[in-house]
Amino acid sequence: MTHPDPAIEAQIQNLKQPISQQPDGPGKRIGKRGEIVVIGHVLPGGGDLFRQRIGRFQEEAGYWESRIGTVHHFTVHMFDDDTRIMISAIYDGDFLVYLDDVIQQAGPWFDSLMPGVWEGYGSASDPETAKLIHDQAHTADAFYAAYPDYSAKDIARMEKVFTAVNTILDTAS
Amino acid sequence: MPDTLSGPDVALELDDIQGTVLRGRPNPYFGAYLIFEVEDPTQSLILLERLLPHLTSAADWQAPAENAWINVVFSHEGLRRLGLDPDILAAFPLEVQQGMAARSEFLGDVGRSAPSEWVMPHALKGFHIALHVMAGSPELREAKLAVGHAALSDLPGLKLIYRLDVGMPPTKREHFGFVDGLTRPFIVGQGGEPLPGQTVSPPGEFVLGYHNAKGEISAGAGPSEFWRNGTYVSLRMIYQDVALFRRFLRDNSDDEYAQELLAAQMMGRWRSGCPMHHSPDRDQPELAKDPLKNNDFLYYDSDPQGRITPLGSHIRRANPRDGLKDSISDVDLHVLLRRGSAYGPVLPEGQLEDDGVDRGLVLAVINAFPARQFEFVQSQWINNGDFIAQGDRTDPIIGRRDRADDFLVYQPHRHRVCGLAEFTTLRGGEHLFLPGLSGLRWLLDHLRQRQPETAPLKQD
Repeated sequence: MTHPDPAIEAQIQNLKQPISQQPDGPGKRIGKRGEIVVIGHVLPGGGDLFRQRIGRFQEEAGYWESRIGTVHHFTVHMFDDDTRIMISAIYDGDFLVYLDDVIQQAGPWFDSLMPGVWEGYGSASDPETAKLIHDQAHTADAFYAAYPDYSAKDIARMEKVFTAVNTILDTAS
Repeated sequence: MPDTLSGPDVALELDDIQGTVLRGRPNPYFGAYLIFEVEDPTQSLILLERLLPHLTSAADWQAPAENAWINVVFSHEGLRRLGLDPDILAAFPLEVQQGMAARSEFLGDVGRSAPSEWVMPHALKGFHIALHVMAGSPELREAKLAVGHAALSDLPGLKLIYRLDVGMPPTKREHFGFVDGLTRPFIVGQGGEPLPGQTVSPPGEFVLGYHNAKGEISAGAGPSEFWRNGTYVSLRMIYQDVALFRRFLRDNSDDEYAQELLAAQMMGRWRSGCPMHHSPDRDQPELAKDPLKNNDFLYYDSDPQGRITPLGSHIRRANPRDGLKDSISDVDLHVLLRRGSAYGPVLPEGQLEDDGVDRGLVLAVINAFPARQFEFVQSQWINNGDFIAQGDRTDPIIGRRDRADDFLVYQPHRHRVCGLAEFTTLRGGEHLFLPGLSGLRWLLDHLRQRQPETAPLKQD
């Protein structure tokens, strides 16, 4: 299938992003950017527990995600009448190699939400947790990433440089 | 013996752990790797039975009675050929099952370092069992090799398919001219006290059956009798293009001092081993020889931006110390116990043209979890720069060069060194299982009982 306008089709092909599978786990990859979506079952009563905890979980998101430092985007959804939970993330780099580190760094944050909610989740430090995440992950059928060759750390540095340059220019003028 | 050893203060069972796990290289050292293909599983068991009494443990590792040892390792394919149960084989770590050749894209072993170019066989090319001999003299090495030959000869079950001799060059340095082997972790339970700057690691990071950095007992495949006191060895044969390295230093420097400075910036230590952290402007060999100082430094407070020890330098990539404190990486999960030994003759001092002779380094990394230890360091820290906000930039000495070839330094002023070349090429590699001595005994007894069910030589 091609676009009826050849000029637009040429742009489509020119802007097509190279997509690959994560080399060490589920999810697609464009440049440095990877995606993961995990869909699990919710335990009976888990919906109520989830709603009790989610406010504080949201408050702490900036702190814990800054410690991880490689996540561009992260969401948690409770859906299907409190029977299913979905966790999604867009992040930098490979999947499996950093899973241990993520669990070590942000384990307390996940443990403040998931026990008693997500079926199969005991605590972040359980050996079965990495397997649970891996087994319940779904690879995207389509994926787009803006500026895929720049990591979250690169963007943070560019922000600092941008601010500094603007300061210099504003001062000079 | 208990099935598992619990409690963080438990002493290592040194007489059951194969010696190479703890024993450092003799000085000078003379060694060899002998790689065998299993042609007849039944005969192979007989030969291994003969070998077992001669294997060296880690007992008295700090003051061994004999300045030589012989150890044995197995590839996953080798264990399959010997007839190990399919369910035990399937429980090995995935990277060990797949073998290092299958992991080449992930590890960055591409181009001339791709498995298709390797000269050392990997598991699917016959690397099934290997003997590792290390000794303090050529005579002791040959004596140990004779023991190995005597045990493994006269029956056709095992075929010697590759031999690689290693030995300390007369310069007492590796081929690029650096003193190496200065950094090693202190393993809780090894005895003694850590030296200043040593990473202190629980024993389960390097030996199965002990507590590890995640607070769990490190377990292997199958029953604990098989894997207790064993470990995995990630073996790499690395060619070093010494002439190219020398020309690069010459072409990017105005004088001899600048060449030494550039070499130091690439490594993170001056060639004597003196850390740049303690001496940014000049080499101090006497400092390098002082074990109380040569490893006693951190980065987070005194050098966060790499103005003294460049962020992307080799030692800072292989061992970030506290430099990643604010990042996702938990460095305690990625500690390496590294054994390096040189192979091939030296390139004469001052020679800038290659002589066509194979020379380099055999790197043996001892790790209970190859995926989060050797493979993590190689793929995330050596062959990638994102962890230090350096994009695709790689290790200036051993990194891949197909994505980026520059390197940021701050001396004598901030600038980028460009055109880093491919100074090293991988000539072969494999993930191997190094059993404990009782584990090897269990394996041989178990395989003998399974003899009628032994797997066919050809894999389906």
